[in-house]
Amino acid sequence: MSIKQTLALLVMAAFASTVFAHKASDSFLYVDMNASQVRIDVALRDLALLVPLDTNGDLKVTVQELRAQRSLATQAIENALTLTSGQTACELRGLTWGLSAHSDGPYLATEYRVDCPNGEPPEQVEYTLLFDTDSLHRGLIQITSGETRSLTVASPDKPVVDLTESAVGAWSTFGTFLYEGIVHLLIGLDHMLFLLVLVLPATLINRRENSQGTARSFKSRLLQLAGIVTAFTLAHSITLALSALDVIQLPIAWVETVIALSIAAAALNVVWPFLGRKTWKLAFAFGLIHGFGFASVLGDLTGGVSNLALALAGFNLGVEFGQLGLLLIGFPLLYALAHIKAYQRFIVPLILLGVGSISLMWVAERAGSI
Amino acid sequence: MIYSDKTLPHRAHPSLSPAFPLPALRRGGAFWIGLGLLGVLCSFAVTAAPSPIQSDFDDDAVLVTLPESAPAKVGAPASQKAMAREVQRLIAEARRSGDPRFLGYAERVFNQLGSQKLNAPLLVLRATLAQSMHRFDAARKDLQTVLDRSNAPAQRTQSLVTLANIELVQGQYDRAQLLCERLRTEHPGLIASSCHAQVAARTGSAEAAYTELAATTRSASKVNIQGYLWAQGTLGDIAAQLGKDSAAKHWQQVLSLDPDDLYTRAQLADWYLQNENLNQALGVTEGYDAVDNLAVIRAIALRRLNHPEAPALASRLRERFEEALWRGSMLHQRDLSRFELDIEQRPKDALQHAMANWDTQREPLDTRLALRSALAAQDKAALSRIQEWLKQQNQSDARYPEAS
Repeated sequence: MSIKQTLALLVMAAFASTVFAHKASDSFLYVDMNASQVRIDVALRDLALLVPLDTNGDLKVTVQELRAQRSLATQAIENALTLTSGQTACELRGLTWGLSAHSDGPYLATEYRVDCPNGEPPEQVEYTLLFDTDSLHRGLIQITSGETRSLTVASPDKPVVDLTESAVGAWSTFGTFLYEGIVHLLIGLDHMLFLLVLVLPATLINRRENSQGTARSFKSRLLQLAGIVTAFTLAHSITLALSALDVIQLPIAWVETVIALSIAAAALNVVWPFLGRKTWKLAFAFGLIHGFGFASVLGDLTGGVSNLALALAGFNLGVEFGQLGLLLIGFPLLYALAHIKAYQRFIVPLILLGVGSISLMWVAERAGSI
Repeated sequence: MIYSDKTLPHRAHPSLSPAFPLPALRRGGAFWIGLGLLGVLCSFAVTAAPSPIQSDFDDDAVLVTLPESAPAKVGAPASQKAMAREVQRLIAEARRSGDPRFLGYAERVFNQLGSQKLNAPLLVLRATLAQSMHRFDAARKDLQTVLDRSNAPAQRTQSLVTLANIELVQGQYDRAQLLCERLRTEHPGLIASSCHAQVAARTGSAEAAYTELAATTRSASKVNIQGYLWAQGTLGDIAAQLGKDSAAKHWQQVLSLDPDDLYTRAQLADWYLQNENLNQALGVTEGYDAVDNLAVIRAIALRRLNHPEAPALASRLRERFEEALWRGSMLHQRDLSRFELDIEQRPKDALQHAMANWDTQREPLDTRLALRSALAAQDKAALSRIQEWLKQQNQSDARYPEAS
């Protein structure tokens, strides 16, 4: 048996082995903006409604019958598919012609190079095949532009789809999620309180320090602070990504309870360092669980977003910006306060007590919904 | 004459329900919807590359077998009578095969008519079509028009049955009760009795409803086969609600007379699955892989049996649901939810679809799925919402002991 024959058999086996699904009718369009190509897959069953594929009337379409109607089929498809740049239609130059498989059976697949006037990329696609035969027919369109892939649908009500949207969309996706990340950190009281408690030890003035040591200790404090923040950031970025990409999923009620618990533990740790004095380790360990909390918010927002990686990057960066902004305002303020005598004796304990009780209240509340 | 034909709606066909938009993000549910879509998007990342184009074939290879009942060619519409015949044929074919393409062909016929005033049979058909596509309000409107306008007993009966059925499916038992009353006045018989029994069973009197309907069915003449099948199907449902083994008998009876009744087939398959009669579940679903709800039940049974074919069917279903999600109109929200819950084991995704489905359909199997998903996803708010509703209706069902 020749390689060609074997291949053909394999292909047939792929088509023949399954019972095909019954589903509403769809065509698949893959628009590649980078290579200026378009591929369209039309179900043979649907095509048979437009072109007499079953010439001998035995209700079976053979390869021979399909080949015989190739030009009619191509014509029908090309008549229903228009890509335009400006107001001018682009030319379609055939590249590949063959069969492909989707969940409901074999499709005729045709690939074209899209030649638009002045070598511009196409801006719009109009798809109208079968709309007046089957009101439930849709053109499912995948647009690849740069690294981005977006999905959209052409329907009888909306046969024209904008192709340039996705390129703009990428930036606006990023921007939107950046903003959402910042907002979430700033309105998410639990992350703010946790950060506050982590930062507090760095503001405390060691009694044994003399006035000449202050300058040096400010630098070392900044370093300490940077270490803490980096550890927290690293940890929550890891779990945020893992959770957003569906690698790990934790029940949100547990996550929120542990987040609340982490604040209480961190507060307690300032007074009584039962978790050790290395605050950055604490920040890393608890940062892991905070990442799952961020992921739950991100999950709220990603409905309909086609570029998850971009959304994730934007959101994470937003959280970092929010965090940084908070520290830029908060740390100098606390540091200034630290020079007041009452700071160490009253203010810090008061803050810790307040944060501790709020977080314990949250623990009780959130544990209730587990 | 439509009533005597197969157009009599068999409850809401769960397998025929294309084209309704994704549910709007609701507060609380938004999180799960987002997370669900995230999951879908991630799986897209893997499958986004289209399947390759093959261009090497044996000339005699058969690529596809076309359905016998292709739609009539697009052309100037003939008389309303001829159109009604064509639409009825297409809807019957959609029901028989579970193939939603036929619903699209049928709807096209109406689109051709433009703003022409439809006669009563066409209005009833358009409502039936709308019901099949879960556009319940549009269906109600057309049926109400028929009841207001037409004196033809066949059209009136058909409209009352379909309307009562919509109210039952949506859990509007008070409204259903009124329609059953009207049905009993205008067209007494087994269908009216079944209508009453169904409402009674879902509002706290299942045992009495079962006994009474069983007696009525025994004494009724079996000449009206439509009414007899309807009553047997209803008895099966109430028996299952009561946890009686006789449920299977009633449904088998229906299937022996009408093997194409996909609604009843799915009920029976589900019953077997629920009672862990897995091989029997495989038996009734065999050869129905093309129909989503039967294929999902089969996939679950295969999985529980550790059957070697289990992964293959699951992956075919996965591809189907991915395409459906891309399409954006949730064809079979219930099937997708069940797939997510029992095959993919993603309870949050399951809950999102189960609740969206439960917002429009509240048959026992819809409610059970919503309850199971809410429990698996540990969503207390959703759980108490469903339990609250069940309590209001005084509804209890052996198929979901989770309710209390």
